[in-house]
Amino acid sequence: MSLFSDLYNTLTKFFRSTEEQGDASKSVATNRLKLVLMQDRTNLTPRILEQMRSELIDLLSRYVELDKELLDLNFEQEGDQVALMLSIPVIRAKDEEEIDAAIREHEELLKVSMAGKEIETSEEDSEEIIEEPENSEETVSEEITNDSNSDEEEKAESDKTDAIVKELNEVPKIIKKKEKKEVSAPEEIISNSGNPFKSDSNDANMVESSEG
Amino acid sequence: MTGRVIVITSGKGGVGKTTTSANIGTALAKSGHKVVLIDTDLGLRNLDLLLGLENRIVYTIVDVIEERCKLKQALVKDKKNPNLQLLAAAQTRDKTAVNADQLKEICDTLKEENDFVLVDCPAGIEQGFQNAVAGASEAVVVTTPEMSAIRDADRIIGLLNTKEEITSVKLLLNRVRPNLIKSNEMMSVDDVVGILEIPLVGIIPEDTGIITSTNKGEPIVNDENALAGKAYRNVAERILGEEVPFLDLDEPKGIMAKIKNAIAKLKVKV
Repeated sequence: MSLFSDLYNTLTKFFRSTEEQGDASKSVATNRLKLVLMQDRTNLTPRILEQMRSELIDLLSRYVELDKELLDLNFEQEGDQVALMLSIPVIRAKDEEEIDAAIREHEELLKVSMAGKEIETSEEDSEEIIEEPENSEETVSEEITNDSNSDEEEKAESDKTDAIVKELNEVPKIIKKKEKKEVSAPEEIISNSGNPFKSDSNDANMVESSEG
Repeated sequence: MTGRVIVITSGKGGVGKTTTSANIGTALAKSGHKVVLIDTDLGLRNLDLLLGLENRIVYTIVDVIEERCKLKQALVKDKKNPNLQLLAAAQTRDKTAVNADQLKEICDTLKEENDFVLVDCPAGIEQGFQNAVAGASEAVVVTTPEMSAIRDADRIIGLLNTKEEITSVKLLLNRVRPNLIKSNEMMSVDDVVGILEIPLVGIIPEDTGIITSTNKGEPIVNDENALAGKAYRNVAERILGEEVPFLDLDEPKGIMAKIKNAIAKLKVKV
């Protein structure tokens, strides 16, 4: 069998027709180009993107356990609008206690870091919609919206995120966050059927936030 | 008569602006239109070489601007086609020898007596670019299916969109290699158009004939058999408002292609 596969590999290499090889080179180029063009077009620097990414991870990690390695932040052009596509595979949902603990921990951190600063909360800024793939019944959105309603510090945090989004909106094109369906769900998710989320959905749970 | 002033630009160098200018200009002239080509690449002039007119240049655009000659004296007629004339760039000066207003004035004068004024733009987004686009109302952005060329084209498109006078910006995709696209090693026409989001005016296949035609100083549109020549003739027809389908660049399948397909199918089974 290994002889056969060796032969097969040699043959495919010889003809250079394996789709992965070609696909890799072409789609890598397309993806790199899309990202760099969006940075060019919007003046979004890699530093701002990284900051946005890490703040989003911080925020979402309080409610669900994420596969940070597979986090995917992309831009897509839809006509005149630029959409920010965020896709993060969810490993498992946290239970209420864990979420409360995470929020308390975050509050502590916030108190320390925001010491001296006035925290203002505005309702319009804390809008967050969380959406899931259609076939998944379990909703992250409920948990998250409920909790953030009862949590003012949480709003301050999303204000911070929104501030960045607003900053992005100052450039001519509108940036919005949209749901995107994870195409290749990581194996951990598939195998992790004991999680409190729907286990018959292999898709990672997607997170969407409305435009700022 | 008021002709159309079209700037041929790209941002990146080496993607085929000058070749495109020479070929579209020649094709338009062949179809009976009066065409003037302006080389605005001061200090790095090449359009004369591609047209085989390098030995006939007496006056340049800088001579016109500095009033050492009349505009008409500086226009060099093509060897074969009197409909085609060239206004050469100065080789000994740099881009600062000309300003945008002066170039606009030249374009405005030339379009009075010609159907087309094609402005060959230098690479870059500085003074030379600003000069070249000053008199134009249309633009053809030349790019190749490579990341750096596309990125620069995107920048140029952004700059062109800020110019009110430019009412039409179209894409010419040059040096396309269908066999590489087929094996997914090169961005396809759809990929590039999807990214840049401007209408396509031409797809020019990579053609070794371009090298020999440059060597001879004769644009490839004069070669009836060359695929790139046909593609450029089609571009000229589209510029004239005709609906011409894009060339089918799929190469005929040879034995190797069949074997490759067979291997690909085998792979699925494995």
